[in-house]
Amino acid sequence: MASGIDPYTTLGIAKDATQDDIKAAYRRVARRLHPDVNQNNPGAAAQFQDITAAYELLTDDDRKRNHDTQIVKRPTGENYNFTLRVTPSKRAIMPLPEPQVIYLLAEILPDPRARDQEQKRESRLNLTLVLDHSNSMNGTRLDKVKVAAHQIIDQMTGEDILSIVSFNDRAEVIIPATPVDNKHALKAKVSMMNAAGGTEIFKGLSAGFEQNRRYLGPKLVNHIVLLTDGNTFGDHESCIELARKATELGICISAMGLGQEWNDEFLDELASTTGGTSSYINSASAVIRFLNDHVRNLSNAFAERVRLSIAPDPDVKLESAFKLAPHPQPLTTNDGYLQLGSLQANRLISVLLQFQMPANMTLGFRSIARLVAAGDILANQQQQFQGLSDISLEIIEQPPAEDPPIAILDALGKLTLYRMQERAQEALASGDVREATRRLENLATRLLAIGEEDLAHQARAEARRVAHTSNLSDKGRKTLKYETRFLLLGASASSEESSP
Amino acid sequence: MMSCPYCGYKNREGVMFCEECGQGLKAEVANAVLPTRQLETASTNLAARATWGTARFGQDASIIIHIRDATDPVVLQPAKKTVMGRADATSPQKPDLDLTPYGALEKGVSRTHAAIYRSEDTLTLVDMGSANGTHLNGQRLVPDQPRILRDGDEIRLGKLVAHVYFK
Repeated sequence: MASGIDPYTTLGIAKDATQDDIKAAYRRVARRLHPDVNQNNPGAAAQFQDITAAYELLTDDDRKRNHDTQIVKRPTGENYNFTLRVTPSKRAIMPLPEPQVIYLLAEILPDPRARDQEQKRESRLNLTLVLDHSNSMNGTRLDKVKVAAHQIIDQMTGEDILSIVSFNDRAEVIIPATPVDNKHALKAKVSMMNAAGGTEIFKGLSAGFEQNRRYLGPKLVNHIVLLTDGNTFGDHESCIELARKATELGICISAMGLGQEWNDEFLDELASTTGGTSSYINSASAVIRFLNDHVRNLSNAFAERVRLSIAPDPDVKLESAFKLAPHPQPLTTNDGYLQLGSLQANRLISVLLQFQMPANMTLGFRSIARLVAAGDILANQQQQFQGLSDISLEIIEQPPAEDPPIAILDALGKLTLYRMQERAQEALASGDVREATRRLENLATRLLAIGEEDLAHQARAEARRVAHTSNLSDKGRKTLKYETRFLLLGASASSEESSP
Repeated sequence: MMSCPYCGYKNREGVMFCEECGQGLKAEVANAVLPTRQLETASTNLAARATWGTARFGQDASIIIHIRDATDPVVLQPAKKTVMGRADATSPQKPDLDLTPYGALEKGVSRTHAAIYRSEDTLTLVDMGSANGTHLNGQRLVPDQPRILRDGDEIRLGKLVAHVYFK
């Protein structure tokens, strides 16, 4: 367990709990999370370590006394916190002779006090731009990237650290990590970039990683932005390996793909491993807006290195996790954690989780999963903070009629569209052209029904193309993937507005 | 299993949108989501009403607690602190809201189980270190950590389920 996290919260007990209470609480949670009953459940393994560490601390008299006195010294009112709120799609379900599905909407809300101080910039950036300057970037693309980089330099202050690496088949450090003091000199260096050569992402990424590491600090938003327009060959594995290492150190990597030729699956994986975002930029002129927005959001960070660990009960299965806000994208678990990146002071993070419940459940109340959200709050002395949520449902023969929460419903309706294009691509990958065509046609129908006419036409055009050529166009593939994802932005907004 | 009315694909129970064709599987689901365009404009209202009720609790408001299996709801005007629990001859403390008549003992309600605190214009629910826990909308509360209570919330003390409404 990380040293800064409160062991009382971890075990879910009050500060004045007796040794008996501590033992009882530990036993209750340990029974659920123990590795013997939770094989292949990395979330449970990670949480088991935490509760065991908390238990060891609290049952050791010296360490407990030490911890308790430290808490007293720390005035609680001055510390910021965040809240983990979890809403299930249903609060009571019927036992069935077959498995059934349940959804949880997990929302991490920043401290409302932090929102009021929005104008005052709390977070300092340690930003690294890793820019592709291969041959294909020649012309407008590179020009726009330069303009965007100039604007970013203008946004930053002497408190922030910037480094810029450009790469083609080798990497060149254009600006070594440095405080942004002399803006003119920095901009001049950016202007001298020229397009040439091929694309080898690993070279650029590792050089960027080295630069970012120099100023790596807990008070900073450590972030690498990778911008590329091409595919890299043979170094995917080493890039992902590097991303894992970056995550351990607290560096986040966001990826932006420009144009049509880049590998979306690879960039998605790269970003979601670290908690960063991946975006599709379809035209050169959009680069400026994308990069600027991204950096602005970063400088509004309230907490960094936010992650969620999910330990479903042994008979419950976590089927999928999808981040709805602030940036919609699928999530992958990494050592039992979903990396969520940074929490902004004025926007919540929300994640939609899909679970499968077992058949033939016994009546009564039962727990389904234990969720722990952890992160480092930048403004706090003691940065590490965690929120815990233990979700349970009632299993009842005749559950009262209840409407699923609109926020879940709306998000699911749109997530289904994203899943449909995903399944169409899967069908195509396995060579089933007819299946893929049918799925794309279904998708087009649904898109039309919700009023997304342009996207519906795209889907229909791609369906026709698949039927004739057994292939999607690069552009259509990426448009469908990223645009259906973006539909979710509207969905998550509705839940945001109803938050306190 | 639920067969999709549009394409016949068999979805697992609990799935809200057909995994095959994307149609809403229940009438109310289909109606709620089909007019997405309107939903977006009206979303503030809708979401506030259907996801979780208002947290605002006015000066003269009172709370109505519907305890499951009880015939009449409990109506009370919360004081600064309202303790819920179970009166017991052996315990000197008396809770403000005694749940004994609702089968508190069998349902595992502690003597001092949880409290509702009233502040400026909100109510918060706090678990007071109860043996069997307090749940708010299925989420178990960490003792001594307040959670905002909203109109329409489900609270559970041990196995005693109640719904809270504001008036």
